[in-house]
Amino acid sequence: MTWKKRYLKVTNFLFIILLLLQLLPDQVSKEPHTSYLVWFVVGVEVLVLILSTVIKKQEGLNLFTDIIGFLYGLLIVWTLATAKGNWLNPALFPTPGQVFYQFVEDIDKILVNIKSSVGIILEGYLLAAAVAIPLGLFLGWGARLGSAATYISKFLGAIPPIVYIPYGIALLPTFRSVAVFVIFLATFWPVLAGTMSGVLNVEKRLIDSAKVLNVNKFTMLFSVILPASLPQIFIGCNQGLGVSFILLTSAEMIGARDGLGYYVKQYSDFGDYTRTIVGLLVIGIVVVVISFLFNKLQNYLLRWKR
Amino acid sequence: MGKIDIRHLTADYVEKNKSFTALSDVSFSVETGEFVSVIGSSGCGKSTLLSILEGIKPVTSGEILIDGEPIHGTGSERGVVFQHYSLFPWMTARKNVAFGIKQVKKDLSKKERLELADQFLDKVGLEDFKNKYPSQLSGGMQQRVAIARALAMDTDILLMDEPFGAIDAKNRTILQELLLKLWEGDGTQEKKTVVFVTHDIDESILLSDKIVMMTANPGRVAKEIPVPFERPRNRAELVQTKEYGLFRNELMSLFYSDIAGKIGGDEVVL
Repeated sequence: MTWKKRYLKVTNFLFIILLLLQLLPDQVSKEPHTSYLVWFVVGVEVLVLILSTVIKKQEGLNLFTDIIGFLYGLLIVWTLATAKGNWLNPALFPTPGQVFYQFVEDIDKILVNIKSSVGIILEGYLLAAAVAIPLGLFLGWGARLGSAATYISKFLGAIPPIVYIPYGIALLPTFRSVAVFVIFLATFWPVLAGTMSGVLNVEKRLIDSAKVLNVNKFTMLFSVILPASLPQIFIGCNQGLGVSFILLTSAEMIGARDGLGYYVKQYSDFGDYTRTIVGLLVIGIVVVVISFLFNKLQNYLLRWKR
Repeated sequence: MGKIDIRHLTADYVEKNKSFTALSDVSFSVETGEFVSVIGSSGCGKSTLLSILEGIKPVTSGEILIDGEPIHGTGSERGVVFQHYSLFPWMTARKNVAFGIKQVKKDLSKKERLELADQFLDKVGLEDFKNKYPSQLSGGMQQRVAIARALAMDTDILLMDEPFGAIDAKNRTILQELLLKLWEGDGTQEKKTVVFVTHDIDESILLSDKIVMMTANPGRVAKEIPVPFERPRNRAELVQTKEYGLFRNELMSLFYSDIAGKIGGDEVVL
């Protein structure tokens, strides 16, 4: 790649525009914390320049800089609409600097809330997967039991797990246990259904191939049927993960004492929309990071697929 | 008594609520160390016969004896190569071979199994592809891995169900010669007993000691024909001899009399 292709990008011009924009006089009465925005974008730009030097593939670099370009574009519009133009109601729409400032101020609280939310998700999710996958293998393998179980799981899986929340609150001692229970249910049915359909759809010739190797039942189930069903198991797991976040944050808005959903709900109740936006952005980042890690795991475990 | 005795095998199956006879009173024997090809047009039951030998399909009546003992289901004295899906797609070539070895040689350590797998992959010419997944290998290479696994498992009997049926002509030739070389060995080891299903007449002549010709409706043995050519065989020399041409013609006329009879006789020009 030539240096022009590496560094002469719209993204980098947007960065300069964004910085120059900060030189305009502020239009808002409340401290806009412009320096926090500047430090943030300078940090991002340093990353962009490092990666522009390091990344070898043109497509990979373009994708990254395009995404950052959108981020800069958004920040330009946001800055214009709030700090520099004051087109929007400042009580409802904080400046980007205020949001970054609040994020830094609240970082300890935010980390505690992330830990709480992610802890609940992991517990409910892993517990559900640990029960649903082996159960799905056995039910799917026992053909007759399996077809009955398919219908039952279709019925029970059709109930939106959020409606269990009030009953869960009555049934279980702590909010945490309710949340884990609801996420367990939200994950359990799709993973069970995915596993069973995976097992039922294993290429028969693969099973024959294992049979003629004289594998025992255990090997057949865990070294042949399980990996063969893995693509469909992951479909169920993906579904469960998507629903889990919606559920957890909804549940936290109803009855929690901490967690990301609680953070957003609490501050929006008090009209603190700066923190509300901080909460929204943090939830977005957490979901993206978890999905990213989950995708990495999936790609690794399914690396044998074309 | 042969290594494998197939006695009065009859197999009726129900498919789409219609019962049909896939095999009718099939009997023949395979001697120890003999390479037997089962040949016939599609629908003659040759693959069904092999599935029964493998132990994955049931029989209606009759029995199969191996070393004089009737078989029930699959057995560790039989290794199998299918036309498709012999390999597990989530295992690399060497893991596939090592997995096969693990099922028969349980006392070997993981390291020993992988070393043994490597040896056999070397033998089939896949030194550089050991860590590839089946999806990254061509059809011919996949069959090489399947053959390496079957050989590494060191079973007395090798059952092969049209193993080269889906391979292009050039690679098929190469694979046939590889199989021939591996089976004939260097003369020090005992040869494996092979039952090889194919619809390729040249393939069956090149490889086998005996050809079992089957016909359809219902599937039965039409004729057992010993192959009169010396070993080791060289394809290029063999196909040029007059005897080869005559023998091949004889087989062809048997093979196509069955097909001609099935689709209406005289109108068919072959």
